[in-house]
Amino acid sequence: MIEPRWGIGRWIELGGIAPQPRWSARMVVAAGFLVLMIGVLTLKLAQLQVYDSSNLAALARANTVHRAVIEADRGIIYDRHGVALVQNTPVWNLQVEPADLPVDARLRTTELATLAGLVGQPEDRLEASLAVADPFTPTRTGSDLTESQVLAVNERLPDLPGASIAHHAVRTYIDPLTFGHVVGYVGPLDEADLERLSPLGYQPDEVVGKVGVEAGLESVLRGADGWADVVVDARGQIVRTIAMQPPVAGHDVYLTIDASLQKATLGALAAGLSRDGKTAGASVVIDPQSGEVLALVSLPGYNTNLFTHGISQAAYNGLLANPDRPLLNRAIAGQYAPGSTFKMVTAIAGLQEGKITPQTMLGCPAYLNYGGWVYHNWATYNLGYMNVAKALAVSCDTFFYQVAAMVGDVTLARYARAFGFGSAKDLEMPGVQAGLVPDRIWKQLTCGVPDLNSDSCRWTVGDTITFGIGQSALLTTPLNQAVYVAALANGGLVLEPTLVHLVRDASGRETATQQRRVLGTVPASADNLQAVREGMREEINRPYNMNYWFRAAGVPADGGGKTGTAQWGGSGLNTPTHAWFVFFAPFAQPDIAMSVFVEGGELSEVEAAPIGVDIMQFNLNNHAAIRAVTPVPPA
Amino acid sequence: MRPTPWQRLDHLQPMLAGMLVVLGLMTVYSAHADWVRQLVWVVLGAAAYAAATAFDYRRFSSMAPWLYVAMLGLLLAVRLIGHTALGAQRWLSIGGFPLQPSELSKLMLVVVLAAFLSRLASPSWRGFVGALALVAPVAALILTQPDLGTTIVVVAVLVGMLFLAGARMVQLGALAACAVVVAPLLPHLLHGYQRRRLEIFLNPGSDPLGAGYNLLQARIAVGAGGLFGQGWLHGLQGALGFVPERATDFVFAVFAEQFGLLGSLLLLAMFGTLLIRLLRSAAVAPDRFGALIAGGVFVMILTQVVENVGMNIGLLPIAGISLPLISYGGSATVTTLAALGMVQSVMLRRPLLVQPRPLLSGNITLRAQA
Repeated sequence: MIEPRWGIGRWIELGGIAPQPRWSARMVVAAGFLVLMIGVLTLKLAQLQVYDSSNLAALARANTVHRAVIEADRGIIYDRHGVALVQNTPVWNLQVEPADLPVDARLRTTELATLAGLVGQPEDRLEASLAVADPFTPTRTGSDLTESQVLAVNERLPDLPGASIAHHAVRTYIDPLTFGHVVGYVGPLDEADLERLSPLGYQPDEVVGKVGVEAGLESVLRGADGWADVVVDARGQIVRTIAMQPPVAGHDVYLTIDASLQKATLGALAAGLSRDGKTAGASVVIDPQSGEVLALVSLPGYNTNLFTHGISQAAYNGLLANPDRPLLNRAIAGQYAPGSTFKMVTAIAGLQEGKITPQTMLGCPAYLNYGGWVYHNWATYNLGYMNVAKALAVSCDTFFYQVAAMVGDVTLARYARAFGFGSAKDLEMPGVQAGLVPDRIWKQLTCGVPDLNSDSCRWTVGDTITFGIGQSALLTTPLNQAVYVAALANGGLVLEPTLVHLVRDASGRETATQQRRVLGTVPASADNLQAVREGMREEINRPYNMNYWFRAAGVPADGGGKTGTAQWGGSGLNTPTHAWFVFFAPFAQPDIAMSVFVEGGELSEVEAAPIGVDIMQFNLNNHAAIRAVTPVPPA
Repeated sequence: MRPTPWQRLDHLQPMLAGMLVVLGLMTVYSAHADWVRQLVWVVLGAAAYAAATAFDYRRFSSMAPWLYVAMLGLLLAVRLIGHTALGAQRWLSIGGFPLQPSELSKLMLVVVLAAFLSRLASPSWRGFVGALALVAPVAALILTQPDLGTTIVVVAVLVGMLFLAGARMVQLGALAACAVVVAPLLPHLLHGYQRRRLEIFLNPGSDPLGAGYNLLQARIAVGAGGLFGQGWLHGLQGALGFVPERATDFVFAVFAEQFGLLGSLLLLAMFGTLLIRLLRSAAVAPDRFGALIAGGVFVMILTQVVENVGMNIGLLPIAGISLPLISYGGSATVTTLAALGMVQSVMLRRPLLVQPRPLLSGNITLRAQA
């Protein structure tokens, strides 16, 4: 019917006899072309899906699977009864991953303008901060968002590729002016921190304890961050989580501090300071049986929240420039001469070395002459002969000049060190200072003159006798003073002071409880110790003097105390002084030992002692509550 | 004994087409496209297939001039009242359904060219130039929509059908020479984004987040598939939207990510078998017109498969071409199925020898019947 014409082959007539397909040469060529094309595609596919597969699969994973860090909660710091001293406040920030922003320049500008408007930040600042950021990691931008801003951003997020909301916790300190010097604060890692802590897995955007217990117990408080591998779509939205490691919250720390006693101590100190027009001071209250620090106060305080919620440069400069140095924790790092509060050490040394006995009577003249120099008593008249207890009670300088001269500087230094002078206590916070116990070797090493036999390097008898009344180059801290008076209170045990009562993990299980650690025993017989304690009791019971404060406060003068007005920086009648009061109570079974320090105080009996009495009064009135057992937190 | 229509049909071709359609629906579903809508298109396409099979293709021969006029009319209508999307004016709205006349015009062109070439007595220069003149306005209208992909298919159909119709090698050589002359001018003829695609193809890494993104993400998806694939619905790149145009132009990358090299080769094998069956239909066609229709459909589908897979794996520059029977899209699905139905119509009207079942005695009789 149809004759084969050109090209496509001969056609079978309808009704013909050969049903076999007739492949023309051109059709065979076309089939060959088809086979060739499929072969080429196959080769390329094999290259992609076999040879390059692992590389490309890794790229696909990098596209779609992102690791998100889940911040671990930092442990909470409580007082010994579970009163929270800090809380973790949630904070939201806008974060932007530059690589996920729209590629189109106009869309990108529009989105950045939208974001800038939502978080209330100038657009050029947002752009500048993103320009320097790593394009493939989400970068926090702008300040903390308010709740309404978070809602507004959240609502728009589907239209804002590359933007997300980061949530993290910020430390908010409770009553920072009261607890700030104890709790401290956290801050971003600086270069030194990073070098020190990066082996522990710290990330550059983490915070670390800088000061106080936050720093001292960093390893306990810090949890372990978790992570989640999340699948994100092309617009950066999380689709699902494929694997995760939950974060482990940091452990909660129960301090030995009693919040109420801390407040009372702060109140007493602040009131005492303002009474006398002073601005700086410190007080440490410890349990003389366990070494637990019940209160640790340094004035002035400062708002530690400024450091976690963003402090302006001006405010920081103001803190640095403040002449009262609020950033200095005087309780642990303020080093001052102890003055007359040191006389118990001189007394013990004299008694224990056999130079005097509790009954030995020595004179208390208005002055003594040593090596051509005249050394005065505080009184301008002769107080007559007295034993060591009476000498402590009236704080006779000339009595202790004689004892110190008999004992000698090296032995006196040994006794001072035995009471914990000159050693930095292992309190759970950084910056604890040691103070200084001088002797003739120290003087030669530090006089700064090449000729060690020159006058300025030679230890004189004058050095020895002023050492005996807590002057010379002797330095101590309020913390060391508290440890020292606790040793007198508890019968001679020098205890390691501690701030940690117990530690609980997130489930409430106790992971650590504080055990009493004894640093050493004072080399003093019970009789000698008792003689000194009697002197301390006598001092606070002097009528028309110290006894007045106890009667005014309505508490029995049952305990032992010693005041001290320490000279510093100069000599003569108008040298500046600090006022000290060290105290323990009750006398028989002491459960409280304290040091009170008034910077620039001139009359310790009037300025420092009433503060200690106020603290004692609070302790007495709230005795049961302060010593109540730490409650178990509700599960 | 007269063979029944059932015996005349090519059974393998619709089976392969059906399998490809199922794979296409699975891939479209996994690419989060509107698979129900695609299913509707497939059903419509099946109806078109049946209708085209039933319709005697020989009647198209006389309708060819009118078809040609209708085709130009449709393309002009797009030009005048069409919708614009993605920077191109390609769609007509017919009763609320978007219609893409350029898809339909590919098939109409096959029929028109088959009719034109089948009437030529010899591969004359006049016939050759006539074929070029027929295609030129169509190609120009489609290229300026702009739709580079369909233009490539149209030109390939022209060249392929000329080749199959027995055009002289000199004529084809002249065409190739023209192409060589036009090639340097191409960058000036192309739209900005088309030129950019070409540059990216030549240097894919030049702008990984910009214009090279599509190509790179598609290749990543294909490579991530590996040997055995991530498994259906377990692809990441495709499902999460990293692969652009994941249900249409880059559907192959989405498929390859989920089904791996094995699946991809199976898909190519199915396309290869289908195309061979189309060539075989050309070889058994009862007349030159039918043979050229089958040949034209072969060239049309081959071009689309090669260009689409090639651009997905970075072997060819990106041009918007869908993968027949796999990609999401109504006009393309219906057109492709209708084209296959037209080839089936050719098969239905071919001569056939019927071989009766051998009897137990082994007495075999052969009878040829119309």
